[in-house]
Amino acid sequence: MNIILKLLRNGVFLQCIAFIAFSEPVLSQKKRTKHTVEIKKMKFVPPELTIHKGDTVVWVNRDIFPHDVTESKNKTWSSSTLEQGKSWYKVITKSTNYYCSLHIVMKGELIVK
Amino acid sequence: MKTINLSTNLATIMFVLAILTTTSGFSQENPSLSDPEVASVAVVANQIDISYAEIAIKKSKNKEILDFAKRMITDHNAVIEQAVALVTKLSVTPKDNAVSQSLLEGAEKTKKMLHKANRKDFDKLYIGNEVAYHKAVIAAVKDLLIPESDNEELRGLLETVLPALEAHLGHAEMVQKKL
Repeated sequence: MNIILKLLRNGVFLQCIAFIAFSEPVLSQKKRTKHTVEIKKMKFVPPELTIHKGDTVVWVNRDIFPHDVTESKNKTWSSSTLEQGKSWYKVITKSTNYYCSLHIVMKGELIVK
Repeated sequence: MKTINLSTNLATIMFVLAILTTTSGFSQENPSLSDPEVASVAVVANQIDISYAEIAIKKSKNKEILDFAKRMITDHNAVIEQAVALVTKLSVTPKDNAVSQSLLEGAEKTKKMLHKANRKDFDKLYIGNEVAYHKAVIAAVKDLLIPESDNEELRGLLETVLPALEAHLGHAEMVQKKL
């Protein structure tokens, strides 16, 4: 009891409470990052992107041609056709290869570390 | 007969390239093509590939050929739209010239060959022509049209189109290998 009173007196106890109350949720919730992949001159730029699990990737079509973003292996996900200036985003949870199904030589890779 | 016709088409492309190559020697000091002429060649080259694709859509049953042909129509129309918007902005009228005419003459022969081809042979003929045509156009854009464009925006448009032509070539070669 004396120790608690002593801590209170020093303000340490309150600091501990504050740390638990405010810091703990921040620690359990990892910071999500948004990454942008530009589509220009028939390329995904950057073609290879390393991200954390749960990060969001936004693809922006800056080309004069329509494009899409499609998972390569089984086409498990795909954007709709993105006209010039349009964008699309997805939360990425695992490493994936993708391509443009309209221009099949255009390829990109997301690496989740 | 079809081989001869395809050879004729390739010969026409080579002839146009020869014109381009020969004239490109003058490009630094005395451009052989003015910007309105460059614009005309660019538009005609895109229109020609659209006309080939339209034949393919009528004659082919192969999904990959059909997808490729539809892509050519969409993408080459996009280039034409950009070119038209640019010449309108610059108040330039595309000017017919020897290169445009040669391209059109060659295209007429190729279209006849594609129309006459039986369905069994059509897909290989069409995609073979696409590979050859894109190689020729890439060379023309890279070695002549870009160097001869005086206007920065016209040159910029051609530089934007070049990766698309290269992507089309890669796509055509992938389809060709599967046939």
